[in-house]
Amino acid sequence: MSMPNDVADKATAGVAAAEAGTRELSYAEAIREGLAQAMEADERVFLFGEDVGVYGGAFGVSGDLFHRFGAARVIDTPISELGIAGAAVGAAITGMKPVLELQFSDFVTLAMEQIVNQAAKIHFMFGGRASVPMVVRLPGGSGTGAAAQHSQSLEAWFAHVPGLKVLQPSTPYDAKGLLLAAIDDPNPVLIFEHKLLYKTKGPVPADAYRVPIGKAAVRRIGTDITIVGTSIMAIRAMAAATRLADDGIDAEVVDLRCLRPIDFATIAASVKKTHRLLIVYEGVKTMGIGAEISAMIAESDVFDFLDGPIARLGGADAPLPYNPVLEKAAVPQEDDIVTAARRLVHEGRA
Amino acid sequence: MTHAATPSATESASAPSAGHAGGSGSGSGASASAIAQRPALAALDDATLAAALSKMHLIRKFEETAEASYMRGLIHGTMHLSIGQEASAVGSTLPLAVTDYILSTHRGHGHCIAKGADPALMFAEFFGKENGYCHGRGGSMHIADIEGGNLGANGIVAGGLPIAVGVGMSIRMQKQKRVCMVFFGDGATNEGAFHESLNMASIWKLPIVFVCENNKYGMSMDIARAMAVADVADRASAYAMPGSSVDGNDLAAVAAASSEAVARARSGGGPSLLECKTYRLRGHSKSDRNLYRSKEEIEAWRENDAIRRLEAELLAAHRFSEAQLREIEHAAQRTIESALEFAKASPDPDPRELTRDVYAQ
Amino acid sequence: MPVEVVLPKVDMDMDSGIIIGWKVAEGARVRQGDILFDIETSKSVMEVESPGSGVIRQLAAVTGEPIAVGTSVAWIYDDDEATLPSFAAPAQASAQPAGTQASPRADAAPSPAAAPSQSPAPSHSPAPGEPSASGEVRATPAARKLARELNVELATVIGSGPGGRIVEEDLKALAATRQSTPAIVALAADPVEQGALVPFNPIRRIVAQRLAESMRTVPHFYLSTQIDMSALRDLARRIEANVTQVAVSKPGVTILIAWLAARVLAGHPRLNASVEGDAMRVHAAVHIGIAIERDGDLVVPVLRDAGTRTLTELVRDFAQLRDAVRTSTIKPAQMRGGTFTLSNLGMYDVDAFTAIINPPECAILAIGRTQDTPVARDGQVVLRPIATFTLSSDHRIVDGVAAARFMSALRKAIEHPDVVT
Repeated sequence: MSMPNDVADKATAGVAAAEAGTRELSYAEAIREGLAQAMEADERVFLFGEDVGVYGGAFGVSGDLFHRFGAARVIDTPISELGIAGAAVGAAITGMKPVLELQFSDFVTLAMEQIVNQAAKIHFMFGGRASVPMVVRLPGGSGTGAAAQHSQSLEAWFAHVPGLKVLQPSTPYDAKGLLLAAIDDPNPVLIFEHKLLYKTKGPVPADAYRVPIGKAAVRRIGTDITIVGTSIMAIRAMAAATRLADDGIDAEVVDLRCLRPIDFATIAASVKKTHRLLIVYEGVKTMGIGAEISAMIAESDVFDFLDGPIARLGGADAPLPYNPVLEKAAVPQEDDIVTAARRLVHEGRA
Repeated sequence: MTHAATPSATESASAPSAGHAGGSGSGSGASASAIAQRPALAALDDATLAAALSKMHLIRKFEETAEASYMRGLIHGTMHLSIGQEASAVGSTLPLAVTDYILSTHRGHGHCIAKGADPALMFAEFFGKENGYCHGRGGSMHIADIEGGNLGANGIVAGGLPIAVGVGMSIRMQKQKRVCMVFFGDGATNEGAFHESLNMASIWKLPIVFVCENNKYGMSMDIARAMAVADVADRASAYAMPGSSVDGNDLAAVAAASSEAVARARSGGGPSLLECKTYRLRGHSKSDRNLYRSKEEIEAWRENDAIRRLEAELLAAHRFSEAQLREIEHAAQRTIESALEFAKASPDPDPRELTRDVYAQ
Repeated sequence: MPVEVVLPKVDMDMDSGIIIGWKVAEGARVRQGDILFDIETSKSVMEVESPGSGVIRQLAAVTGEPIAVGTSVAWIYDDDEATLPSFAAPAQASAQPAGTQASPRADAAPSPAAAPSQSPAPSHSPAPGEPSASGEVRATPAARKLARELNVELATVIGSGPGGRIVEEDLKALAATRQSTPAIVALAADPVEQGALVPFNPIRRIVAQRLAESMRTVPHFYLSTQIDMSALRDLARRIEANVTQVAVSKPGVTILIAWLAARVLAGHPRLNASVEGDAMRVHAAVHIGIAIERDGDLVVPVLRDAGTRTLTELVRDFAQLRDAVRTSTIKPAQMRGGTFTLSNLGMYDVDAFTAIINPPECAILAIGRTQDTPVARDGQVVLRPIATFTLSSDHRIVDGVAAARFMSALRKAIEHPDVVT
């Protein structure tokens, strides 16, 4: 599942894919390379979490970093999510740049207190006198048969919290570039990585480039409908767009990449052009990302450009099931996107 | 020596006990003329004691003044007063250097002043003023003095404990000689964060001193009903770290125990758990009606007042004259009065800057 | 400044009235002259027109209780005008005099009883962009924006979206036809895909609803008569020269019949009447609706005061209405208030047919083709141009004899039009 080159990236990051040193890397490899480059460049950066050391990370992301950087900088922790999240806060406010891996994003529920009450608020609560430059990596999403407690997409929870930044890279290029940008950032940044994407490959430059936080990517330019996707849904939206093109529907695909801060300007410009909007995300649809984007449209001048209802595709109102058929049915699939886009364009119905 | 004045020492479990550490009873039965001092007191020179006593007065008067301002409607929100716990805050921090860190609690005014905060900036923060420590964004529960090593008071019970672990990691990784002291109450020791944090601090031998100010109640819940072990210090054994329990109203005893723990942390010996048994003479917060404890109990602890005890002991040991003690107190009073005036005269924040510090730039 | 809508005095001895139902919704855009609500007085039910144009707000609740004449019942604001708290709140249901109604919350939300649900079914002809019972036109934001830019009244546009929603494409098509020829309009033709289920467009929906209801509830009966059209043809030829000098189009046979029928109706009031509940209202004026087909839909523009307008005026009026239909600029008001309808299918080689009455009218005249037919004249068989006219009447009002007398009078008028003029 590789993606065409990122329109926005070319413009903003100044990195052409054709540049020498660009290789095909997997999403996991791209993250690992980013981690290594950050640790090489800045001794304040360290990686810690459960099984990130010798084991190499539950999803193999940290890989050989333990051997390359040693136990002092790639630190295995006890299974204490609240404790390690707080440790990231403490290290960050005293001069370090911790990168914390929570083994499954679901486990963030155990660390909520430190992330929401402490990390997100310290800078504000202390009048700007302290900052919390920490990064939390959270493997999320369904599709692995891991059932209800290991498959959730909880990113929207954190997008609701001022003080946090929330990223969802969908390509190897973005996975590395956003990670490096997150490590540079003086704020707590949560990166929701999708477990199904770890093995996907794409072009990744060798240098330590950054993808700017807060900038969506227009993955495909089209005129008939805007499909905003997050994480793996941006990938599925691209596949759907190819099929829609066969129907004569020219879809524009926007990969949101960042939930907070959200790049509404890019969405707005696209919807003003296409007059139709479909939002696709894996988190539970109700009270989710789609609702927020829809409301932003409704409250803005983009409202006047709508030529039909806004449609959302999101996770079912159910915990993620174990059965593979049910699991697929619980989150939007490529077919769902095609169907929804056709209905919006041809019938004007959400 | 004032330990004889400890109320009900032999009668009730609810009464404060003499310190376990720090030479309890060393001056027991001393006559008025006795110069014999407890080693814990003798270990502190006059300047240190004068500064410590001054801070205890500052804390007491700061809180009394804050309370009065609150009751006159000058301060909104709520506040958690530590009146009665001054020896714990001042004694624990006595061995700390300016460059050392503390993490404080919702009942944190004492820690703040003890670590060297300016009462004027604290008052300004209480009044929500732009030139308060947190520009009026934090208030009573979130005072931080980052430059002074105070990494902030915390409104979440046990919220500071995991952060302390990270601070300890940070000190270690930056090869500093600093120590991190984290305060928390007895209630916090029933939070998972406490156990996760002590465990991590211990396995990594981090330079942390865990100071539990056991004031006997988690809001209204008596510690005896909330905790399976008798003393918070007992919990240290589960994490293979030293745990000690002291009379938290005994400045010298607290200072002695803290010195030992700080020295261990600074020398790479790892963390310690220090339990200071003390008592808050006021309610949990301004809305507390004290339904869960008796007037007699409160009165008994009032008799055990840390400031009065210290002054009596200093007089008895001829370390300070009455006039010197009064001058220390009056100086503290003047500082607090001018701090209050500063706060009142300070500007309010501009609502247009509401979102100014949501993100660091 | 907002325009106050008061409960008007519509009868001499009226001091209060009951709002039966609003024809517009809170926040709807209204134009001066639009029907805002119906009031019931001790004598009758009256429609109340809008005194201004803009956005109507603060509609008084429909409670069934009398409201004093002069009481404020709504406010009409300029488009961007804020609802001003200093103005009186919607009148509560009471007969208190105006001025005692001031409410502390002028910006109060409209009462939920201000009632799309209670407003009576529209009693006018089907129209493009037919407002629903609550008075709103369904259109996407993009369509609304484009309509503002093109200065198009959305109520005149047929929506091609689901449920008749007007979408941007409809406006674009309209704009395109405006730029090209105004004569031929391709307005959102029904996509009649074979085997596909095609939902009714709004016009079709309303036509279906109203005609079905008419057939269900109105006892129709039919009378046919054959009329010699030669005199009318002569008249048409004679006046053609005159008329074309002042009007944009030639007088057709239909308009001549309308002109004559209007005059005949003046003498047969029962055929120019409506059933209202258990009562009959005989209309003072004669407004004749002319059924027109447009892109597969039936629209019925109304010739106002056909009984008093001159033929020349009627010809011009009709030409304007027909152009408005073709360009989709016809306004709902131009299709409301008919008292009698003509339907002429003669041009389609139909000999004769019966038509369904268009409520609340009580009669409709169906005109077949004019054919040279052998008839007896003065003992001779001669060929005359004959057309079959069939009158459908509402038997609740019109009896057979009354209908027959009307048809007889109509035949005389058509065969001897000079007498009528």
